[in-house]
Amino acid sequence: MSLKATLLFIVRRLAAMAVLMVVLSFAVFSLVYLAPGDAVDALLGGKSSTPELVASLKEEYHLNEPFFTQYWIWARDALHFDFGASTQTTLPVTDEIGARFGSSVFLGVYAYVLTLLFGVVPGVIAALRRRRAVDRGLVAGAVVTLSTPPFVLGILLLYLFAVVVPVFPAAGKGEGFLDQLWHLTLPAVALALTISAFLLRHTRASMIGVLDQDYVAFARARGLASRRIMLRYLLRNALIPVVTVSGVLLTYFVTGAVLVESTFSLGGLGELLVQSAESGDLPMIQGLTLIIAVIIISANLLADLAYMAIDPRIRFERRS
Amino acid sequence: MVEGVVSLTKTFEARAKSPAKRRRLMPVSIALCFFFLAIMVLMVLFGPLLAPHDPQAQNALAGSAGPSAEHWLGTDMLGRDVFSRLVSGARSAISGPLVIAIGALVCGNILGLLSGYRGGILDFVIMRWVDLMVAMPSLLVIIVAAGALGGGYWMAVALLGVLSVPFDTRVIRAATLEQMPRPYVEAAKALGVPNRRIMFLHIWPNIAATAFANTFLVFAGSLIALSGLSFLGMGAEPGTPDWGQMLAENQSLLFANPVASIAPGVAIILAATATNLIGDWTFEKISSRGATR
Amino acid sequence: MNDSIEQPGAPGAPVLSVRRLKIGRAGLGGAGAIVSANEFDLAAGESIGIVGESGSGKSMTAKALTGLLPPGVVANGVAEYGGRNLLGFSEREWRSIRGSEICTVMQDPFTMLNPVMRCGHILQESMAPGRRLSRAERRAESVRRLAEVGITDESVVDRYPFQLSGGMRQRVAIAAALARDPKVLIADEPSTALDVVTQREVLALIKRIQQARGMSLILITHDLRVAFATCDRIHVLYAGALVEAAGAGAMQSEPLHPYTQGLLLSEPPADRRVRELVAIPGSVPSAGEVQDRCPFATRCQWVAEVCRDGVPELQAVADGHESRCVRLPEIRTEMAEIRARAVEPAPALPDGRTGAALVEVEHIEKVFNSGSRTVRAVDDASLVVRDGESVGIVGESGSGKTTLARMLVGLETPTAGDIRIDGISVRDWRALGDQDRRKLRKTVQMVFQDPYSSLNPMRSIGWTLKEAITTHQSGPADIAGRVSDLLESVGLHREYAQRRPSALSGGERQRIAIARALAAGPRLLICDEPVSALDMSVQAQILNLLEHLRTERGISYLFITHDLSIVRQASDFLYVMNGGRVVESGPTEAVLDHPQHAYTGELLRSVPRSDGNWLGASA
Repeated sequence: MSLKATLLFIVRRLAAMAVLMVVLSFAVFSLVYLAPGDAVDALLGGKSSTPELVASLKEEYHLNEPFFTQYWIWARDALHFDFGASTQTTLPVTDEIGARFGSSVFLGVYAYVLTLLFGVVPGVIAALRRRRAVDRGLVAGAVVTLSTPPFVLGILLLYLFAVVVPVFPAAGKGEGFLDQLWHLTLPAVALALTISAFLLRHTRASMIGVLDQDYVAFARARGLASRRIMLRYLLRNALIPVVTVSGVLLTYFVTGAVLVESTFSLGGLGELLVQSAESGDLPMIQGLTLIIAVIIISANLLADLAYMAIDPRIRFERRS
Repeated sequence: MVEGVVSLTKTFEARAKSPAKRRRLMPVSIALCFFFLAIMVLMVLFGPLLAPHDPQAQNALAGSAGPSAEHWLGTDMLGRDVFSRLVSGARSAISGPLVIAIGALVCGNILGLLSGYRGGILDFVIMRWVDLMVAMPSLLVIIVAAGALGGGYWMAVALLGVLSVPFDTRVIRAATLEQMPRPYVEAAKALGVPNRRIMFLHIWPNIAATAFANTFLVFAGSLIALSGLSFLGMGAEPGTPDWGQMLAENQSLLFANPVASIAPGVAIILAATATNLIGDWTFEKISSRGATR
Repeated sequence: MNDSIEQPGAPGAPVLSVRRLKIGRAGLGGAGAIVSANEFDLAAGESIGIVGESGSGKSMTAKALTGLLPPGVVANGVAEYGGRNLLGFSEREWRSIRGSEICTVMQDPFTMLNPVMRCGHILQESMAPGRRLSRAERRAESVRRLAEVGITDESVVDRYPFQLSGGMRQRVAIAAALARDPKVLIADEPSTALDVVTQREVLALIKRIQQARGMSLILITHDLRVAFATCDRIHVLYAGALVEAAGAGAMQSEPLHPYTQGLLLSEPPADRRVRELVAIPGSVPSAGEVQDRCPFATRCQWVAEVCRDGVPELQAVADGHESRCVRLPEIRTEMAEIRARAVEPAPALPDGRTGAALVEVEHIEKVFNSGSRTVRAVDDASLVVRDGESVGIVGESGSGKTTLARMLVGLETPTAGDIRIDGISVRDWRALGDQDRRKLRKTVQMVFQDPYSSLNPMRSIGWTLKEAITTHQSGPADIAGRVSDLLESVGLHREYAQRRPSALSGGERQRIAIARALAAGPRLLICDEPVSALDMSVQAQILNLLEHLRTERGISYLFITHDLSIVRQASDFLYVMNGGRVVESGPTEAVLDHPQHAYTGELLRSVPRSDGNWLGASA
């Protein structure tokens, strides 16, 4: 096996990804025409219409061209990260997105680390202590956490740690690494907990499945050291399904970030999406949608590659 | 009719006798969950009678007040009674998710059974569609759609319903595929039992519990999603009492009357936890009973 | 750490001595019993067999001896090894025993090896820690270890377990189990999940290594003949209690417990066709149900008051021969008579095939495509089943025998070739008219292998049988009466109609499955491994029932099995399949007595035989 098969797999996936992006971009582009009123109304975004403005919009968005030509021009620009100008701020969409990208990524990475910490570790512990008090407590806690949307958790955290015991700031994203870390702790926890509850249940189930396997009993029967069994047998096999869900997890992160950023007024991409949806800022919506889609699709590809890397069964069966 | 009742009581006795079934019908926690859901249903049906105040009545003078004998959970910025709004908010919290859960149950079961049982090209088409839909972050899709097409509660419900069907379809298809190679299905085929009868009278009863358990999970998920949309101002119409919206409106009161924004949050958590627990419990019942071997 | 264990192995003294072994679920008292009374001695270099059906507690005994009981299950009693009682060991103490002193090989080679580790790595990690070896030395050692278990292909070191066949995996597992050179090997059904030919090879390997190393062996098996062929002494467990223990030869020539005798006789003999199998009625109870009496009392034909009064003691009945039967002195001669009668051969069958052809299969092929792989499951197979005839198909898994049967009832569609049933061409069931299809369903019916899932668990027995009746018969009729008739015809009381499958034992479920197939009034019944999922003592009941139904109703059988002894008992004409092809066919007796094809000979040699030559014969 080999590199060749792996490369072939990647190329195939990239091709599928490209097709998906074309379909998606077409849908996103069509939003202009699906919106109530005609395309000009949509692009005006609520501003009063003057004949000059209409003319310049038609010029700028090539509205006089046939539909497919318009799409072609739009898609070509989008490939160069040019999504036009926001109808609200009249600034280029790319600039608006770029200004907010950093803090959203910071929040995402921070929350991801916390998710792994709160998800995998207790999940493994619960499985090892199956049916005991620790396990029952963790499982019950996970159900409640899973039922707690990030914005509710955010408000509870705000109340506890910004109002009752004011140790964290109530809003804003901070400057510099440590300040950002301090500002984003509550949002990251709010974002991470719900998702880590999902991860906890997944890890626990997967771990329990592995614990019941014959190969673990056989490893014990051969007198292998318990540390070795833990690492090479239990974790190694139990984390395979955990890796495969990481693509799904990312979808949760994106959704959760929208809610958390709004709760804590962080001014990130999610909040920008909500604001532009409220004001019907179509170029902004289009740009954000495409960028989020690229992130999600690439993350899924990465998750699949990681899955291939850690599970030899997948690698070798693709060949035959 | 009488015969049916007699045979029913007989099976009941037979069950009561077997030692394995002598355990409690359900644990206390699950009973509590059902009790809580029953209260919510009562709030939906008799909301106006249960609420001590008109949820819409404003009183600028008594705004942002903490809990009192008059206003159990205090008032919001406009002086509306938080408790009354909480009771009335059960309606939008339950009605949308209920429609979504039932819609997804019906469509998902039919599509999932067909896809799993028939296989072939139909299965391929349905599953590609499911793969695509499941990969989409539903909340974002709805936000984008709301931005472009204009929002609204039922628009969100409809979109969320369409996005939930694939989840049910996938679960039911997987459950169907698990039953398909079992000899009881093959025996029915070899016996010449018609396909529709095999699908609905043989396979479905064996996966029905999975379907219902999943429905509870869909319900909880859409309750959370819809309240999130309302929190962002894209769900329930502005002004209507809705838990997500109350949370957003009263966030600024965290110092003056924190209960006003925490109470609807707790209501969401309780409702979602109750349904999730019931769903999990049903799933567990299936897996323990599924051990027929 | 190992210093604390005295080196056992003084000549004659047992290495491992088990006394008063009790295993049960914690906190349930007698009802939770799994093993109620087990004991044995294992000398250095000796091999003993622990034989029992499912629920006998044989596997739990094996787990208790390596400290691997599942959570919530506890063992009491004494298991003395090197002067210490293993049953009181802590997890830390166990680690000094496992692998280096006692090691286990389990049943399923497909789940026993870590799927994400290469075989060489599995072997290396199993070797004694502390020895510092270079990479090349470790590899050489792995290759040497593989050679000991008969794997000469060096590349296996670099392969993953899922890239190997079942037999190869089991060999790798055995090599891993022996990596620290244990003094005792416990093999828990090491060959049951394997094909018959591989099964013999693996058992021969275990026996060869055991003798070469002078190691002690405990073989756990459900098959008395396998135990006779492999072991020096045999211990028979029933419902958690040891009922008989003796040397293999002594037990074989004269079993001295009614259960052992029943178990021996319910297995069809490999070398002759007998009049009727001696079946044990009923099904195996759990250990918890028979705490206060002879565990076999519910099924024993010689049961008396004394058997129910208490648990009989294990008594020495001959030199080195112990039995738990209190009535043995009274019934010993009667048991011998039954044994003598049971082996009387049945009258020879008339030569030649008569009757019109009911099923004709001509040059049939079935190709499965999975991804880029194509599997030719059935490859140009032809066969004929005549009216009133019982035809056997014998072959290993993957021989295509089940696929062939499934094509006959329309569960698969052939890729090429033709099938004619009662004159109707049924290549594609979907292309048939309603009338033809109905006629065919009434002609051919099928009984499946796994009785545990062949009945819809959500439906009562009555519902299932009613559906089978109404599917083939319209118009009002006494359906309830017909359900009762069907139940009676398979030896069950009419009240079974009220029950659900989960309340039935495996044997009872298989009876229902037969009744369901009979509901259509078929002229041909296809039986796909109808007894292989059942306990040995129940198999004979079902085989007898099928034989009885055949003579009573004059229907034809197509009997599909991997077991040559069963096929000798149950069929008149035989087809041998291998790799999707029919390699040999002829009257059953003739084929089995004078095989023409090499593969048939190979299969015949693989049938477990009690004599020691079975494993010694050319591998």
